[in-house]
Amino acid sequence: MAGKIKQMIDTIINQRAKDNAMLAGVIKTKLMLKGIDPSKFTPQSPDDPAIISKLEALMKEL
Amino acid sequence: MNIKTAYSLKTKPQDAISELKAQFKGFNPKLILFFASSAFPPDTVAEGMEDAFPGAETIGCTTAGELVTGKMLKNSIVAMGLNRKAVKDCKVEIIENLNKQSHKAFNAFQRHFKKPMKKMSPSEYVGIILVDGLSCKEELVMDKMGDLTNVTIIGGSAGDDLKFKKTHVFANGKSYPHSAVLALIKPATKFSFIKTQSFCALPQKLVVTKANEYAREVFEFNGKPAAKAYAEALGTTVEEATKRFMHNPVGLVFEGEPFVRSPQQFKGDSMVFYCSVKEGMELSLLESTDIITSTKKSLDEVKKELGNISGIVNFNCILRTLEMQQKGLCDEYGKLFADVPTVGFSTYGEEYIGHINQTATMLVFG
Repeated sequence: MAGKIKQMIDTIINQRAKDNAMLAGVIKTKLMLKGIDPSKFTPQSPDDPAIISKLEALMKEL
Repeated sequence: MNIKTAYSLKTKPQDAISELKAQFKGFNPKLILFFASSAFPPDTVAEGMEDAFPGAETIGCTTAGELVTGKMLKNSIVAMGLNRKAVKDCKVEIIENLNKQSHKAFNAFQRHFKKPMKKMSPSEYVGIILVDGLSCKEELVMDKMGDLTNVTIIGGSAGDDLKFKKTHVFANGKSYPHSAVLALIKPATKFSFIKTQSFCALPQKLVVTKANEYAREVFEFNGKPAAKAYAEALGTTVEEATKRFMHNPVGLVFEGEPFVRSPQQFKGDSMVFYCSVKEGMELSLLESTDIITSTKKSLDEVKKELGNISGIVNFNCILRTLEMQQKGLCDEYGKLFADVPTVGFSTYGEEYIGHINQTATMLVFG
């Protein structure tokens, strides 16, 4: 499977930041500090279970 | 003037607090931020400041040096008072168990402000956090809070004058070790932030291939023993590399902005940092630039952004303070803040979005 990480990252950014570009930048920084670089994931990126697990935990907080 | 600062170099806590109180005569603060050398008994300082300023929320911590308008100090108590025209509302909470969630504090904030933390706008609210600087838990606390709210949390890790024995945070008359104090503030004016670190990124990359993030220990960079890989990146020996920690830390660089991770020591072949480093992180080797120039630039930028600055709270890394002491730059650094009511301290770590090192994070009131 592929692309789930990018999809989850996009969902988190859209839901948390809405249309606020500055807030989107802060959320991306938070992800970087969690060890998840948003710029490194594409629709073709393989689904890494460890990263998906971190993102699922974050999405729960949403 | 809605934000006022004061300081005392008196050695007895009651004398120092009386001197601070006198400097705030006629001023009615809603919130008092204070930072005290660990030379003072923490319980006495906490209680004394609460008694001196009834009606105000009081928060603070012990330090590795203090900052006040125009000056860098040692063995002092510095304080900033913000009245109701600077702070519309604020609530202070203690997080005593740093392993647990911040939910208890956040629930209290939600009851006080009658609004869920998730709905609080980051342009209307700001959090100031002071954390035990010896707990190694700053990342955990900041990470969890960052998940729960979009409100910016900014602050520093409490120090103890480089003794590395015990730090304290203060909240409303009490002193707490191994804890964090969080003040959620609704400023009456615009506000902004500075995160300034005087480093440029070099081309050398160090990918964390093996680490214990909770121990802040990296075992391998690029598949090699960490100490060796770091020394190779510097183009020197492992023995010489230890002398380069302050000048060449590493950083997580995101959109051109480094989030510094400062090396603390080599431990055999591994490296221990003052900050958590996760496996898979790609770090850049950094090189120091000029602290005075880069701090001045950041201050000028925020002045342009806000138009007017009425107060600054400066969380300035002790490593920056030590570098400035070595270079005889402390007076010059203090003078950068001579024209604006400023308070702050030399920290064991800085908080802004996450936990970082060798940085000054500042809350700036417009």
